[in-house]
Amino acid sequence: MKAPLIHRSPMPGLGLSMGITLTMLSLVVLIPIGALLLKGASYGPAGIWETVNRPRVWAALFLSFRLSLIAALFNLVFGVLLAWVLVRYRFPGRRLLDGAVDLPFALPTAVAGISLTALYAPTGAFGSLADQIGWKIAYTQWGILIALIFVGLPFVARTVQPVIEEIEREVEEASATLGASRLYTLRHVILPMLMPAALTGFALALARAVGEYGSVIFIAGNIPLVTEIAPLLIIIQLEEFNYDAAAAIGIAMLLISFALLLAINLIQVWSRRRIGHV
Amino acid sequence: MQPILTNAGTIPAQGPHLTTAALRRLTARPIHRLRGLAAGLALAALSLGSVPGPALAQSLLNVSYDPTRELYREINAAFTAFWTAQGNPAPSLEVSHGGSGSQARAVIDGLSAQVVTLALASDIDRIAAAGRLPADWQSKLPHNSSPYTSTIVFLVREGNPKGIADWGDLVAEGVQVITPNPKTSGGARWNYLAAWAWAEKNGRDPREFVGALYRNVPVLDQGARGSTTTFAQRGIGDVLLAWENEAHLALKEISEDRFDIVVPSVSILAEPPVALVETNIQTDDQRKLAEAYLDFLYSPEGQAIAFRNFYRAWDSSQAAPEDVARFPALELIDIASLGGWAKVQPEHFGDGGIFDQIYVQP
Repeated sequence: MKAPLIHRSPMPGLGLSMGITLTMLSLVVLIPIGALLLKGASYGPAGIWETVNRPRVWAALFLSFRLSLIAALFNLVFGVLLAWVLVRYRFPGRRLLDGAVDLPFALPTAVAGISLTALYAPTGAFGSLADQIGWKIAYTQWGILIALIFVGLPFVARTVQPVIEEIEREVEEASATLGASRLYTLRHVILPMLMPAALTGFALALARAVGEYGSVIFIAGNIPLVTEIAPLLIIIQLEEFNYDAAAAIGIAMLLISFALLLAINLIQVWSRRRIGHV
Repeated sequence: MQPILTNAGTIPAQGPHLTTAALRRLTARPIHRLRGLAAGLALAALSLGSVPGPALAQSLLNVSYDPTRELYREINAAFTAFWTAQGNPAPSLEVSHGGSGSQARAVIDGLSAQVVTLALASDIDRIAAAGRLPADWQSKLPHNSSPYTSTIVFLVREGNPKGIADWGDLVAEGVQVITPNPKTSGGARWNYLAAWAWAEKNGRDPREFVGALYRNVPVLDQGARGSTTTFAQRGIGDVLLAWENEAHLALKEISEDRFDIVVPSVSILAEPPVALVETNIQTDDQRKLAEAYLDFLYSPEGQAIAFRNFYRAWDSSQAAPEDVARFPALELIDIASLGGWAKVQPEHFGDGGIFDQIYVQP
């Protein structure tokens, strides 16, 4: 007998919840992305390649993805650390700090961009200090990196936090009684447990950074080939009413992002298999 | 300050209207858990659907570009007084501001503006190409449909420490020029063309000159306001290429004694045009209102307001003398002598055009 396509759960309401889910998903995600792909399809693969295969577009894509990767890596390390501190230590103002982690989500990105620029411009509080040692932050790639770190910060911290809360101290203590050094415990006991959640957070932070526009645009300087991010190129094409080219760059970004996220997923599967279930 | 956001006051709710009846059909199953959710959704749908639409006849949406906020605030107040004095009910006037190009795109994509007042004729040409107004729109009103004009001047730091007097000084080693990105800002195209026109007049190779100028630009902001902020608040650069009205506004709003205005020998006659968007006029009453609004811009009173807001208008009969005396005479080149927007736009600012070639050799 053929297995049914949908396994009906004994719980009622599958049809309804499935309907609502699919409708919502289609309205918000599938149809817009489908429209983008459709636009690209009408332009043709040759047209897309011709649009993307230009030094300026490559430079912008390379810049966007390189800085997003660096920012996500930074957030991976810093986010795990942050989550650890928030869960394991008790100090005054902990709840406040815990709440502050989510602020980058709540703040309009334009506001974030403007305040970061105000701080890191040569006239700003930090920018003027950096300026004294000849280090320019705002309007360089450093500025973009800072903005990307800012918007991606909560992801790793928030995905890792509940996992750390679940880890029982006995595990560490057992490891210690078996003669493991602290570093050994960290590397072979704690980190493997955090790995899958941290990778999820990393992927989210990366995806967020790649698409970020609002905050970066104020701090970037937007000089072609130097500090021009890929989303700005899309806006520029739109300003010229060049919808096809805008869709082409959008599709290129979508494909690269998809490949990256897939790779991260595979790493996750691989690490789970290696470590066993966590 | 924020060139991307469009602050439309009242936009009629677009998109699918989810009626409560439809919602009820969706959620009428006897599942207790969902009742709360359904009620919430219905409420949300109700509040979306019931954005109070103003009476159509007496409302007007003017879609404008970025630096006209102060101008149209005053124009709207004066026009309301003028319109009600004629025995009409008070109109509801909304203005939306943003980058000229993105505003044009919003109108093409269905923002129901009855009046557009943009930075560039080429942006309104785009709307015309989409069939929303006749192709000969620019001949419908006097002065190429531009009730006020402006030009591009330099804003320098107090005392002009780099000694900048004319366009030629901008390409000197170590001078940093702030101007927005011509690809995203209508105003920035005038900046670029003014530099081009000066180079042509002075026997320099314009392509090379403009290239050298943009190599001195450390930050390409999205719009004119962004550049003004970068220059005035962030302290970047030695000279800001600005609309004359923006430069005066910066002096007035930020500080009189931190900046000086330098007027170059040659600049461009920037004509920000206005037009009626035919397909968005719903009733005869609304047409009357929209036409009166545009005519008001040409009236002595409207022109005086333009002068007061640092625009070079045409009719100074009611303007305060000091508002008119503010503008020094300089040689102004108009867009027609550069070949008109239809030629300039693709040649200079199109994909792979002369501006792009400054950064990437073809």
